[in-house]
Amino acid sequence: MVIYADNAATTQLDTDAFEAMKPFLLENYANPSGAYSYSKKAKLAIKAARKTIAECINAEPEQIYFTSGGTESDNWAIKGFALSDYDYKAVITSQIEHHAILNSCYDIERLKHPVAYLPVDRKGVVATDTLNRYISDRTGLVSVMTANNEIGTIEPIKELAQIAHSHGALFHTDAVQAVGHIPIDVKVLGIDMLSASAHKFNGPKGIGFLYCKEGVLQPFHNGGSQEFGMRAGTENVPAIVGMAVALRKNIIEMEQNAKHLRRLSEELLSILEASNVPFILNGHPTNRLPGNINLSIKGKSGEGLMHMLDLKGICVSTGSACDSKNQQVSHVIQNIGLPDDYGIGTIRISLGKYNTEQEVKRIADILIKLSSL
Amino acid sequence: MKKVKASPCISCGKKDLSKDEVGINLKLIGEDTENFYCLDCLASVLDVGVQDILDKIEEFKEEGCTLFL
Repeated sequence: MVIYADNAATTQLDTDAFEAMKPFLLENYANPSGAYSYSKKAKLAIKAARKTIAECINAEPEQIYFTSGGTESDNWAIKGFALSDYDYKAVITSQIEHHAILNSCYDIERLKHPVAYLPVDRKGVVATDTLNRYISDRTGLVSVMTANNEIGTIEPIKELAQIAHSHGALFHTDAVQAVGHIPIDVKVLGIDMLSASAHKFNGPKGIGFLYCKEGVLQPFHNGGSQEFGMRAGTENVPAIVGMAVALRKNIIEMEQNAKHLRRLSEELLSILEASNVPFILNGHPTNRLPGNINLSIKGKSGEGLMHMLDLKGICVSTGSACDSKNQQVSHVIQNIGLPDDYGIGTIRISLGKYNTEQEVKRIADILIKLSSL
Repeated sequence: MKKVKASPCISCGKKDLSKDEVGINLKLIGEDTENFYCLDCLASVLDVGVQDILDKIEEFKEEGCTLFL
């Protein structure tokens, strides 16, 4: 039997979300832009989903734009800003962002937009002092992720957004790992743009959204008038409906899920601590995503451990990979300044709401055994 | 890739481990390992089937992993 512990990569589709999607795949498959009555159910379903999603992050429905996922949302936020900024203002981001952000930033640098990449501390935190040192009135956009996808550290978004605004800059956050897992209130946090992806919170793949305040961005996809004329293309109605159901359910159950995941994480860590395995828990010790356990084991190969766990039917991911010639440590692990003899031995166990105590014990026991080889 | 002279299987003493046996030890246990297992003993210590390990070896070769060259 497979033990799935890679929930930061993707999550199991929630059965309620799946049930809600089915009628829009089989019965009400009309194009929501159709002028006939048959399109009405699809049109209304999109409207209801937009309202639900907006409520989940305390936004207005017209500030929610459906996209194909987190990557598209990130690309839109960064490149959309660059395309609509004729003053070539600077973008500031962090060194540990997801590649959807980093590669978008490298792209706009080619268009002559200056970009600064903020260093992080040993826990993966973007310090407010660091942003204060880099920011100026020539900064147009600050983009810092809500929580890191590898090490789970939750960033001080509210404080960073305040600094951005005090210099007249916009604030975007890649909240792909956070939405549906920790409370997000865009008004309280002062967020101008936010990226999210449904399959990270038990929704379907291929759908996500960008929250964006009015007048901030230009259309990214050109074509029809869907998404208030901002993102052309026929809407993926079943996926939009499934995303809304999954997000609402995760928000309702958030506290209970977080408690369950923290208990499982503590259990796993306490078993490892009681063993002789020399390991470091990466990321912030307390202010981290529930269920994220990023470990670096001294003198071991993270990639090797991942493959051996795979042979045992356990799915985790690694912070290092072989590119056929060399072992490469991920940019996140490199940037938190981990000692070399630990960095290569990094694996990420990301537990989800469906994981059990029995599974966690099995993961820990097998990991201890494999670490002794 | 550094050249590795594999020791005999640490478990059964089998000598002259094949290129694939050396490669899979380096890949799974780590490139600095000094302990090598033959295919049967590696399967036994991991408590998996020999075929599962052979499948992994094929996967790595298809990905172009130089440890198996």
